[in-house]
Amino acid sequence: MAREQPNVGDLLPLLETSDLHQLEEIRGLINEQLSTERGSMLLNTLVDYYLETNSAQAVHILSSVREPHDKHLLDKMNDCMTKQACRLPTLTLLGHVVRKQPSWIHKIARYPLLLSLLKCLKTDTDVVVLITGVLVLITLLPMIPQAGKQHLWEYFDIFGRLASWNLKNPGHVSEVYLIHLHASVYSLFHRLYGMYPCNFVSYLRSHYSMKENMETFEEVVKPMLEHVRIHPELVTGTKDHELDPTRWKKYEIHDIVIECAKVSLDPKEASCEEGYATMPENFYPQIHLRPQDCTSSPYPDLHSSYGSTSSTPFSTPRQPLPPPLSLPPFSGTQSSYRSPQTSRRQNSCELNSSCGGKDPLWSPSSLCGMTTPPSSRGMSPNLELSHSASHLPTPGGKGTPASSTPATSSPPPTLSDDFPVISLPANTVQSSPPRKVCSLNAILKMSIRSAITEELWKLTEEKLELSGVRGFDSPFYHTTETTQPGGEGRNSAVGLEQSCSFHTCFTPIEHHLHQSPSVPDDEVTKFGMFSPSPCSKTPAPVPYESFFDLALPRAASLFVHQKTSEVAHKVTMERLLQREEGLEDGEEEGVVSASPLEVLDRLVQQGSDAHDKVLKRLPLPSKSADWTHFGGSAPLDELHTLRSQLLLLHNQLLYERYKREQHAVRNRRLLRRIINATALEEQNNAMKDQLNLQSVDILSLRESLQVEQQRYRQLWEDRETVVTRLHSQIRQLQQGRDDYYTKNQELQSKLQEYQKKMDELEAELQRANNKVCHTGHLLNQMTIKLSNSESTQQQMSFLNKQLLLLGEAHKLSMQELQHADASNTKMLQVSYGKEVETLRQSLLVQGQKLEAAQQRVAELETLLSKKEHLIAEQKKFLEDVKCQAKAELQASDSRYQAQRRITQLLQTELLQLYSRVEMEAPASTTSCSPPEDSRPPHDSPHGNGSTLSPGQPKASNSSKSTANSINGSQELAPPLLVEPSLSCPHASLLTPLAASDTPLTVGSYPSAKSFLGMRARELFRNKSESQCDEDQPPPRLAGLAHGLKTELCVESISPSYIAPVSPAPSPIPPPPPPPVTPLTVPTKEPASEPKQQRASRQESLCRKTGAGPGGGRVQVGSSRPRQQQLKIMDYNETHHEHS
Amino acid sequence: MHMFNCPGGTMADDPQRNFRSAYYEKVGFRGVEEKKSLEILLKDNPLDLEKLSTFSQRFPLPSMYRIHVWKVLLGILPPHSDSHALVGGYRKEQYQDILEALEVMRYINSSTPSTHVYLRMFQLESQTLPRCSETSPPDEENEDFLSISRAMEEIVDDPVDCYWLVKCFVNQYHTKFGDSVPHLPKSLEHYLSQEEPRLLNHLKNSGALHQLPYNLWFRCCFAGCLPESSLQRVWDKVISGSCKILVFVALEILLSYKIILMGINRPEGMVKFLCNIPQENTDAIVTKAIDLWHKYSGTLIHAI
Repeated sequence: MAREQPNVGDLLPLLETSDLHQLEEIRGLINEQLSTERGSMLLNTLVDYYLETNSAQAVHILSSVREPHDKHLLDKMNDCMTKQACRLPTLTLLGHVVRKQPSWIHKIARYPLLLSLLKCLKTDTDVVVLITGVLVLITLLPMIPQAGKQHLWEYFDIFGRLASWNLKNPGHVSEVYLIHLHASVYSLFHRLYGMYPCNFVSYLRSHYSMKENMETFEEVVKPMLEHVRIHPELVTGTKDHELDPTRWKKYEIHDIVIECAKVSLDPKEASCEEGYATMPENFYPQIHLRPQDCTSSPYPDLHSSYGSTSSTPFSTPRQPLPPPLSLPPFSGTQSSYRSPQTSRRQNSCELNSSCGGKDPLWSPSSLCGMTTPPSSRGMSPNLELSHSASHLPTPGGKGTPASSTPATSSPPPTLSDDFPVISLPANTVQSSPPRKVCSLNAILKMSIRSAITEELWKLTEEKLELSGVRGFDSPFYHTTETTQPGGEGRNSAVGLEQSCSFHTCFTPIEHHLHQSPSVPDDEVTKFGMFSPSPCSKTPAPVPYESFFDLALPRAASLFVHQKTSEVAHKVTMERLLQREEGLEDGEEEGVVSASPLEVLDRLVQQGSDAHDKVLKRLPLPSKSADWTHFGGSAPLDELHTLRSQLLLLHNQLLYERYKREQHAVRNRRLLRRIINATALEEQNNAMKDQLNLQSVDILSLRESLQVEQQRYRQLWEDRETVVTRLHSQIRQLQQGRDDYYTKNQELQSKLQEYQKKMDELEAELQRANNKVCHTGHLLNQMTIKLSNSESTQQQMSFLNKQLLLLGEAHKLSMQELQHADASNTKMLQVSYGKEVETLRQSLLVQGQKLEAAQQRVAELETLLSKKEHLIAEQKKFLEDVKCQAKAELQASDSRYQAQRRITQLLQTELLQLYSRVEMEAPASTTSCSPPEDSRPPHDSPHGNGSTLSPGQPKASNSSKSTANSINGSQELAPPLLVEPSLSCPHASLLTPLAASDTPLTVGSYPSAKSFLGMRARELFRNKSESQCDEDQPPPRLAGLAHGLKTELCVESISPSYIAPVSPAPSPIPPPPPPPVTPLTVPTKEPASEPKQQRASRQESLCRKTGAGPGGGRVQVGSSRPRQQQLKIMDYNETHHEHS
Repeated sequence: MHMFNCPGGTMADDPQRNFRSAYYEKVGFRGVEEKKSLEILLKDNPLDLEKLSTFSQRFPLPSMYRIHVWKVLLGILPPHSDSHALVGGYRKEQYQDILEALEVMRYINSSTPSTHVYLRMFQLESQTLPRCSETSPPDEENEDFLSISRAMEEIVDDPVDCYWLVKCFVNQYHTKFGDSVPHLPKSLEHYLSQEEPRLLNHLKNSGALHQLPYNLWFRCCFAGCLPESSLQRVWDKVISGSCKILVFVALEILLSYKIILMGINRPEGMVKFLCNIPQENTDAIVTKAIDLWHKYSGTLIHAI
């Protein structure tokens, strides 16, 4: 960087090179450097370079720096502002930058540059600096509207200072400066008033209420106030609201500018948009009359030239119109004028078509217009160049204005060369075209209003001196004059049509017209050198028209034309009215002070005229001569004044151009809106068409609906008729059916009647049948009776015969009887008597016998009752005894049970002892066995032989069963665990005893076999001297226990018990088998033996009982008193007695 | 119950009947007439067991006839008074036989307390006597027997009678009431809930209800709990066929010592107290219990 830095710095002077290619390269280099470098070095050098050289290229580069460098640039400019010498160029540079309107421009409010600018404006005394600064400020204000909050009062102070400057003129500068200053203050006034009306008005109120300022107010501010209307914000807004940043957010820069212009009444300053369309009506007269004022104003000599210049615009705009290239401009206009009868619409159509047609012919301008948007513009004219240009002879500049004719597609380079020569005399004409060319005038300056004003002016002031040299203009002018009376309206209409498309959008500010003449000359000349066609900067109206044609469908153009024609018509009508008024009292209305801009305008005009006049007289070659030509060296002061004047003009021009650009921007926005609106309109139309179509559709559908409805109705009616017909048919059928029903019912009732009759007949038939039956029956009976009677008759006859026979027999017997009666009766009587006697005797005997028998019966009956009583008593006693015996038996049984338990216990003890003994002396087992063997033989003599059998195990069951059979139900003691078979021997042993002792069989009739029976018998026997039966030995019972003890001792030795009892492995295996085998044989025998024995015993018992009444007497019961039983008769005995 | 009318009813016809007897009961002398009627009953031959048991249920037995009546009711003596001597002889012999056998087998000796002798004899008869070598200390059932026999020994003098009474009492109790004894605690709870629900709640809450000395009450029949003088009156009823009286005696014990019992919260304390109740006013307790028992079963008797 640092290495390149000097390099780039060195390059700077090369910016002034004339080689375009090299210039481009250098510019690219610098821009590249700027884009890569962030430091301020290069920028500072650039600024310095500019301050030194006023280089246009430097300005170009500086005004297009981008974001990071803005700070450096502004800082640098701030630095420069502090230096008095640099201040002016810095301000100029700032003006360039501001007008360039870079994206970062809003930041300027934050930088000290603004403050220093304000300070400079408040303090500086150099008028040129002030004017430049004010213009910069005015340009800047819309860009930083929100900054007004901080600096508002400074703005107002500046305004106050500059306004009073005018009057007091502290620097005693020349009047020319004052005019400039006044114009710029006027602009500032408009800006401030437009942007901050409330604050500004309050400032004015406070500031000019002071005595010392009253004069300034009267002289300066009041005339300014005449050129503004009441700002609407004054009514609705407040001071705070004005300063609210949000208020400004919705405005763009051009919006603000236009807003400011709206409140202005000065045509030079104001703009007329549709919202204010009513406003101009009141002021047109004044505006139109202003030129008349001007005549009375200090610049009366300008009138002629003014008039001429203003007349030219008419011709020039018309010139481009004629389509044929070959035709001279006049003929074109003439042709258009010659067809006034054609309706405006036709005209417009023609124009449109012609425009469309001549598009290719318009190639330079139209192409430029299309390719370069209006916003594009060239660099501002170099001041130096303009300086030099000012030195240059004007004819050179004048030659270029002809280049405006390129609008008529004449080749500019050649023409410009030739043209000056041709058009030299017609300087007025020459002056006008460039004006239009460079400042959009070709299209826009031709507002209908101004045009008409000019025309009016010409008409009214025709007598006024017309510059003899009218060149191109005059013929045309005359033609217009000639046609004017008849087709003036048309003319204006035509003019309108040309420009109205733009007029509706915005009204150009006229002072461009007047301001431009001198400077643009230079400008144009300069541009003429740079660009082949100055038109590139200024889009012609036609290009816009072509835009319309391209952008909008036909409807849009129609709309535009309609609009323009309407406005044109309205305006022309007004013109006509006002013209007459203006003619009458135009002079009187000159009271209104002239706008400072107008004044400035006139000044410039005057200067231009003076310049023309002076320089025209000079021969062409000497035009380049300097002031010395007029004598001596030019006074330096004068030169300086002129230069600064030029500068001021330049500044003014730039300012105006800036304003114009804002207008252009706005213009484009509005155009876009128009296009949109038109598109919408078109869409609307299309929709309407669609709607129409649809309504047509609906109509047709309705019609078809009606047709359908009609058809439907007809069908309905048809159906109705059919239905009614069918209904009638149904009704008929129903009637028929009803008839049938009634008939049917009749028939049925008849049928019922018949049935009833049938029933009756049947009943009759039944009855008849019954009768028949009855009679039949009767008949049968009768026949029976008949037969009976017949048989009776037969019997009768038979009986009669018998009677007869008996009667015969009777007769016979009577006869016999009479013969044998006496002897037989006597004999019979005697026999009978005897018989009776015998019978009587036997009866007596029988009676006696009967008595005896009766006595005997009574005897027997008493005996019987006695016996029965006895039996009952016996029974009772028996019961008693039975109970007693039962109780006793129970007691003894319990005793017995106890004994058994004891025995069992003893046995177990014994066994235990034995086992212990055997365990202790195993050796002695062998010796023990022989005694065991020897026991059985011992047993038999000891035991009864019948009960004590050695084969217990087998016999136990049989013995039990036998016991059961004998005793009915004998309670057997449950076998003990230790000695299961032990109880068995007892049972078998006791069975004989039980047979005689157990009380269990007692409850029944005493049987001879049972104990009770024996007892009873014994009792009975006691009564009768029967002997006691010693069959059962009761004493045995007593001794039994002792016997048992010994027996048990003997039995328990038997080896059969040892095996189950002693679980210990017996050391003597051989002994058990031998005893078993011998025992098995005898078991059988003892089992059968008891039975036999028992049977024999029973037999014997039976025998004994049967043999005699000697029952066994029980010794146990012997102790009981015998007397109790003495009365009881022996049943058996009595029985035996009787039997 | 037409067989056994109210003693007063039967005696109204009796010419020997004391005409004052109708007033005795009103004045509060009970048992004056009963003795006579019992004597009349005992004169019957054979004895009417049903009448005797009913009498015993309804009236207190005179102590002079108590043992006789018990023996008859328990079947130690037959209903026929004729066979009394005979059967008595049998019983004695049986007793002596068993005693001898036990002595011989050395189960007992002369120094063995009589209650233990009775126990061995009972065991022998019921075939539950262990081997001599295997004799074990008496278990719970044996303890019951022992306590009953101890009480009986106090009541009866003759050892033969005593043994027989104990044996028959125990046997009868087991055969007759063996099934209903387990339900007695429930019935006690029921009557207690009717008589004194607060006490029942207290017992329940303290958890003593299930720990009450049921064994002492319903298995030993209060032997060892009440003094013999009171006990024999209870046993009169038990022997004559009602185990319900035990419930009411227990109930009356609880009611009588209600205040003390309510004061004890620990079940162990309650059991301990109930096992060793004071011996002073047991006669009153038994009297009240019998009244209560009559009250509750009175409907039953009259209904029959």
